Amino acid sequence: MIEKVNMSINLGDLRLKNPVMPASGTFDLYEDNHLPYDTKILGAVITKTIFLEKRLGNPPPRICESTSGLINALGTPGEGVEYLIKKKLPVFQKANQTVIVSIGGDGAKEFKLLAERLDKVEGIAALELDLSCPNNEDNIIIAKDEFLTEQTVAKVKEAFTKPIIIKLSPNVNDITKIAKAAQRGGADILSLINTLSAMAIDIKTKKPVLGNKIGGLSGPAIKPIALKMVWDVAHTVDLPIIGIGGISNSEDAIEFLLAGASAIEVGTAALINPSVMLEIIQGIEQYLVQQGYSSIEEIIGLAFK
Amino acid sequence: MYQVDAKVINQTEVIENHFILKIFAPEIVKKAIPGQFVMLSAWSQRDPLLRRPFTFNRIFCKEGSFELLYKKVGKGTEIMSNLKTSDQVSLLGPLGNGIKFTQNMKRIAIVSRGIGVAPMLAIVDSAKEKGIEVYAYLSAATENLLLRKEEIKEKAKLIYITTDDASLGAGGKVTDFLAQTLIDTKMDAVYTCGSKRLKNHIESLKETYGFKAWVILEEHMACGIGACKGCICRAKKANNHQDRYLLVCKDGPVFPVDEVEV
Repeated sequence: MIEKVNMSINLGDLRLKNPVMPASGTFDLYEDNHLPYDTKILGAVITKTIFLEKRLGNPPPRICESTSGLINALGTPGEGVEYLIKKKLPVFQKANQTVIVSIGGDGAKEFKLLAERLDKVEGIAALELDLSCPNNEDNIIIAKDEFLTEQTVAKVKEAFTKPIIIKLSPNVNDITKIAKAAQRGGADILSLINTLSAMAIDIKTKKPVLGNKIGGLSGPAIKPIALKMVWDVAHTVDLPIIGIGGISNSEDAIEFLLAGASAIEVGTAALINPSVMLEIIQGIEQYLVQQGYSSIEEIIGLAFK
Repeated sequence: MYQVDAKVINQTEVIENHFILKIFAPEIVKKAIPGQFVMLSAWSQRDPLLRRPFTFNRIFCKEGSFELLYKKVGKGTEIMSNLKTSDQVSLLGPLGNGIKFTQNMKRIAIVSRGIGVAPMLAIVDSAKEKGIEVYAYLSAATENLLLRKEEIKEKAKLIYITTDDASLGAGGKVTDFLAQTLIDTKMDAVYTCGSKRLKNHIESLKETYGFKAWVILEEHMACGIGACKGCICRAKKANNHQDRYLLVCKDGPVFPVDEVEV
């Protein structure tokens, strides 16, 4: 048994018992689920990105392995917000006391409607805005545009009373500019990064592997890029940051905390090792004890202090 | 679902590039039924990154072990092919929906092509145990690719074999033999794996003879537990004509033949 350290963290008004969460889109819960650990230990649980209406998602193949990475082109399949509220949310709320709902939309209007609807629902701790899904049919990527980002965030902020997290895309010229735009719009928290635009070609068929042709790269391959973007944004914007991108163990997670992230999300690694988030929480605790810290807050952003 | 590290009991290369891997994993075996699968990793480095899905080829309840039958096709199976006795693998399982025999079943048929025979021996074993008669219809390109033929023959009431090159059995479609059998023999259920053509033929026979029929699908998977939504197949259009996808890992991998398009 290791000594107790304070693992709780405040991301503005969002209080988490520890900084480790699943990344939206890589995590789902079912009523008959039995993951090999108790999901109550997580800092929060995050739903798959939900749109107003049902979405079919992209045709297969939707996933493809690359060197130390995973390329996906899911196309954000989902049953729509009413299904989420009735069927999924109770399962998530049973699994963890802190539930974050990830929302997507084709424009500011859809985001606002979703925020208004979800504001009336009990037991949602925060919204995460997926402005950066790179593989939706119409290819409108709000997260690539400062004005659209600011406008969309402002609309959601008007409609939703609890904290809003803005998930940023790495597929931009300067992520710090979009981060600032999100802040101007009223973002409470930033999460970064989403997947990097990517593809694979089958040399036998001479065609793209994915049904959608292009997709987004996740996994260990993108970790150094994500870390650098967290570092840049942490230097630029005075908002709590959730670091995402290829985090596969506690060492990776600690790097992100040192770079300025107050919390982290785990995606691809948890697809391979469902228990990885438990291991990461324990690994961070051990690190803090070994290094003589009494709380996790003490190491956030230490790499540039 | 269990996440366990398990030991390799042994591995045999049955014919070139085709392997039977036997693994000791009592927790998983206790819950396993034919048609279900495991997600396996035999690598701790990050390339390959993902686990690989494998159906149970044979389940040994008393021993607490199971066998996988696989073909070496890429990076993951290349590493697996070098596994030796006592080596360790990481497993998630048992996963997906398996085969459930109902009490009134007296006779079933298995119809497979090539490596699609992988889930069939476990089905045959389980049927035999329950006193259900098995008719086996196996097809392959050549005789040596008729894997597990002897083990199935031993337990099946009747076995029909075809090879594309007519090296063993007659040429022609294995489902034509099934069609002949059906003229005077009632099947309660038919299970198929490994060929789109066989699946579609069985579907049309089902309409004539009214047996239950299932197809066992395989697909690339990232998680195997319904989280990533990567392993989809297209559902047959229902009355409202809306497109719909099903998850092979969570909704399957065993599907009624008339519910999915392959």
